Amino acid sequence: MIIETREFTRVEGNGKAEVVIEDDEVKDVRLKIIEGPRFFELLTLGRHYRDVPDLEARICAICYLAHSVASVIGIERAFGVEVPEEVSLLRELGLIGEFLESHSLHLYLLVAPDLFGYPDAIRMASRHGELVREGLAIKAFGNRLRVLVGGREIHGINVKPGGFGRYPTVEELERIERESEALLRLAKRSVRLFARLQPYGARAGHFVATDGYLWGERLISDEGGKFHYTERIEERSPVYSFAKQSHYMGETFLVGALPRLLLKSSMLTPTARRLFEEHGEKLETGYVSYNNLAQAIELVYSIERAKEIARRLLDRGIEGENVPVEPREGEGIGYVEAPRGVLIHHYRMDASGNVTYSNIITPTALNHAMIEASLLTEARGLYGETDEGEMVKRLEETVRAFDPCISCSVHLVNL
Amino acid sequence: MMEKLKLGVFELTDCGGCALNMLFLYERLFDLLEFYEIEEFHMATSLDGGTHYDVALVTGTVSTRRDLNLLKDVRNRSDYLIALGTCATHGSVQASVEMPIREKLKAVYGDGGNPMGALDSKPVVEYVAVDFALPGCPYDKEEVYQALIDIAKGVEPVRKDYPVCLECKLNEYECVLVKKGLPCLGPITYGGCNAVCLRSGLGCIGCRGPLPGEVNPAGEYEVLKSLGYDEEYILRKFKTFSRWEP
Repeated sequence: MIIETREFTRVEGNGKAEVVIEDDEVKDVRLKIIEGPRFFELLTLGRHYRDVPDLEARICAICYLAHSVASVIGIERAFGVEVPEEVSLLRELGLIGEFLESHSLHLYLLVAPDLFGYPDAIRMASRHGELVREGLAIKAFGNRLRVLVGGREIHGINVKPGGFGRYPTVEELERIERESEALLRLAKRSVRLFARLQPYGARAGHFVATDGYLWGERLISDEGGKFHYTERIEERSPVYSFAKQSHYMGETFLVGALPRLLLKSSMLTPTARRLFEEHGEKLETGYVSYNNLAQAIELVYSIERAKEIARRLLDRGIEGENVPVEPREGEGIGYVEAPRGVLIHHYRMDASGNVTYSNIITPTALNHAMIEASLLTEARGLYGETDEGEMVKRLEETVRAFDPCISCSVHLVNL
Repeated sequence: MMEKLKLGVFELTDCGGCALNMLFLYERLFDLLEFYEIEEFHMATSLDGGTHYDVALVTGTVSTRRDLNLLKDVRNRSDYLIALGTCATHGSVQASVEMPIREKLKAVYGDGGNPMGALDSKPVVEYVAVDFALPGCPYDKEEVYQALIDIAKGVEPVRKDYPVCLECKLNEYECVLVKKGLPCLGPITYGGCNAVCLRSGLGCIGCRGPLPGEVNPAGEYEVLKSLGYDEEYILRKFKTFSRWEP
């Protein structure tokens, strides 16, 4: 017997799950990504580097900036281009905006209705309007950072290899500093709210993140050492899904807010580090549901860090000069932390700056096997204990904890 | 009290941006809810869909048989259907890969055939008649807000019929095509975005699709060529968002 869930709701993209029952036991669970394939690597093949980041941004709307930044870093590394601190800080500010926009969407509009027993945030707003509006306020602030750095709320084209089309003004940065101060209180409240979640899902075999907080030269894991993705991560194509699955040295692993906190807590801002320590015991159990709590702590981190960056840029002044980019034959990998985990853009370029090879691995594809393992654990615990409707609802909540981005996951090229 | 119109938001294959952009209306989403009741919107609600929609917003391209079945079903059950975003109106970037579906699948997934029923990505307007087409990658959220308010008031929404250049000039931005020699598709692209990319001093990439009527793509081609861009580069740029021009 196969129990099929309906298509997941309150997630980005189209997917569902099948629970395989044999001899009255849960034998297997398959996560089916039914979003159509989007072939982004083929789209960029042969393209001139200058057009590539704008195309790659279209992979995902929720985290377009992570794609733009991973893309420009991959291109810059292929050409041997180094950018100054000003450009790095601004990219970081944009990625922070994306964390705020994406985490608040996930926590307040997609997860919170589960906590309060509503089908959506709009209906929840009748009794918990203040909470929904707080979430929207953080989200709007995050998007203002994305507009400032990326050019617009979705699919901006301002992030370029070597710098930006337009740099922010002093007034804009001062406004960011002021606003972040006001929002910190709201973010701290969200940590209390999401600390109430119960443990569910599976525990990951391993955790993987980039070696810097928001991007890096290499990846790191709970086993220590720095590595390139090709050294420890292997991709497979299941026949029932448009998304591939990845394993770390043959085992399941997790990327996302929880691995970031567990592997990189020393890089957090003061309040975020204090909150991490306060909830450390829960987080260290490694249950996937605590990814939501980790995201709430990252809201605090992001707001504190936005303020630090704005101040730093104001103190040193904005020069607004792009670094010249000279194409040459080469290979480069951009590792960035998208809100939902490690994002990899890998390119090879020819001497005139055209893409000859491109591989993109998104966080949801990296988490794909882990999502299935969590569904299996949950289904085994629930089958026979609750009715089918309740089981399907809980499975949907389990998938949601990963904050999956299904649209991103459906265009992976063979290694 | 006036009865609210029933609204459905349906996502075919896309980046999720056109559905997400609705949520970026923030507080004004609540203003829309004075006129509309959301019956189905997978990204935002777990409610099961209704049986009939006064207005359906459809985003994305038709890229699987599931997408096609969903689109036809929604068309049959809705009075007013809006193709929302450049994927739905022109195919956008994901429809621009010019290889047959079998070859694309083989290049990306290996020799597994096509068990999931993938189709070549095409815009919604290739398959069904739509009542209104609102392009943009993503569309400007003010436009969809206005269109939904117009429909609620019984007024037919107005489609923009001028190029991006007009809004660029109104904002008094410097012309990047003439002054900087950047490849800018502003002269031949549907306006309505308030020339947002020109604000960053960067050329329009044509994400709202080509403006039909009295525009001059041949002239644009000649200008870009005289700036030193090669033919293949220019043609790919023209077709990036609008391989499937309606």
